[in-house]
Amino acid sequence: MKKKLELLFFLLPVIILVAFFVYGFIGWSFYTSLTDWRIIGVKGEFVGFENYKFLFTRDRSFKSTLFNTLELSAIFIGVTMPLGLALAILLDLGIYAKKVFRIIFLLPLSFSFVASASMWFWMFSPEIGVINSFLRLLGMGNLAQPWITSSTQSLWCIAIAYVWQFSGFATLVYYSGISGVSEDIREAARIDGASKFQEYWRIVIPMQKPATLTVLVILLMYSLKVFDLVWLMTGGGPGRSSEVLSTLMYKTTFSRNFFGRGASIGIVMFVISLIIILPFFVRRRRSDYE
Amino acid sequence: MNKLRKKGNPITKTIIYIILFCAVFFYLFPIYSAVNTSLKTNEELRFGPVQTVQKPTFDNYISSFNSIKRPLLNTTIFTVFATAVSSILGAMAGFAFSKMSFKFSNVILLIVVLGFYIAPQSILIPLVSFMGKIGLYDTYLGLVLTHTAYGVPITTLLFKNYFDTVPTQLIESARIDGCSNIGAFFKIALPLSLPGFAVVAIFQFTNIWNEYLFGLTLTSGVESMPLTVAIANLKGTTVAAWNIQMAGLLISILPVLLMYLFFMELIVKGLLMGSVKG
Repeated sequence: MKKKLELLFFLLPVIILVAFFVYGFIGWSFYTSLTDWRIIGVKGEFVGFENYKFLFTRDRSFKSTLFNTLELSAIFIGVTMPLGLALAILLDLGIYAKKVFRIIFLLPLSFSFVASASMWFWMFSPEIGVINSFLRLLGMGNLAQPWITSSTQSLWCIAIAYVWQFSGFATLVYYSGISGVSEDIREAARIDGASKFQEYWRIVIPMQKPATLTVLVILLMYSLKVFDLVWLMTGGGPGRSSEVLSTLMYKTTFSRNFFGRGASIGIVMFVISLIIILPFFVRRRRSDYE
Repeated sequence: MNKLRKKGNPITKTIIYIILFCAVFFYLFPIYSAVNTSLKTNEELRFGPVQTVQKPTFDNYISSFNSIKRPLLNTTIFTVFATAVSSILGAMAGFAFSKMSFKFSNVILLIVVLGFYIAPQSILIPLVSFMGKIGLYDTYLGLVLTHTAYGVPITTLLFKNYFDTVPTQLIESARIDGCSNIGAFFKIALPLSLPGFAVVAIFQFTNIWNEYLFGLTLTSGVESMPLTVAIANLKGTTVAAWNIQMAGLLISILPVLLMYLFFMELIVKGLLMGSVKG
């Protein structure tokens, strides 16, 4: 009995907060998504799954938004993971001033997405931007690009800013994974005549599966959630060329006041995040018991 | 470990350092450019963003500081409170998950931690309506409550992982001495968890300080506007304001940047604890 009261003392605040603000609100969002609510203070009519039907059948921009979200994730993750692994291996090679390099790689993580968005917006501005000015200064002005003002490049610009900000995290997790490989195994490989390259390719890298899974899941989550960078660098534009789920949800809800439809986009995002995260959790739980 | 330093092919070595310096250039060039421009007068700005500053001035810092003074204060206040509250609540729950056995504790922990991973967009509309309904829209309290509620999933997990490294015997011996669990928590576990507390608090502080979407949707005026929103508003005012904009964003990241430089090890621990053992 006493233990139960104690448990309540420890757990109740967190459980109430999470139950209400996370799960309660998801339920509330879901309910909202079944209405055509548009005006603050005036209840919407219940319309069933109309909003979802609209998104998936009639709304053509939704499909391109889904595709953009996927493309941004693919570029971001496709660059960040190999880069993170490569830099982690370089750090592991016994280089000089390892600590300094590590600090530099992690520095962008201290930036808010807002700060890096403003910075990269300026880097990628076509006329007065840093990159084009730099190219012109080097006499390579013909290489100058329209960057964020181009519908084919805008998503790439966001992805580069995202890689800049987040690759230090991948480096960190991989570096910690590599440091976790026991020196005995590596020593044994070396005694068997493995070259430095073989040591990494055959021993160290195959042992980075847990680190890879961790990085992958976290990067997937972040590329689904990304809002600040897209909103402040391109606003989803030009046109809809860099529109992602989070910016579409924001615009639908707060600029166009389609609360019901905005909520349905939020719920779609919730389902995607469950699909990303649940296998990871289940896998981890299982390995806990092994 | 030091193999490379001792022997190692000089060509391989050169390649390694070339790659490293390319990476350093990629990470530092934007920051260098921002600092460089932030020190320029409007006069110098006209020569383009790449030229090195000739006559550095701090005027841009002063004028952008004046325009973001209030948001800076706002963010400092609600970040400190939300960090403190979410850390303490997370410590309590993390202690229970780690040191007290009860039915379904694994499942409950999973349900709590899942809260960290959901996209904020999936709760945004109810959150804004709710804050409006209870009169906490555009207030510090509303921001503290929001950041606490969405912070506790990760602080709970971080503390659970931390307390797992604290030997259970220490807690047991306190219980044998007649301490209740609550007593054991405050007298033994909490003092022992101070290093963990630092990790969690820094992790939370940086997250909340840098957050934008909640700030954008839960405030409207300068009275409670967070710094990130003010910095975003600086953007795109006028072309000539690049120097002021860069100065402003550098001011905004300074507290977290200093934390990174001074508490690197704690930051690294927090990032790893929050992810690897997630």
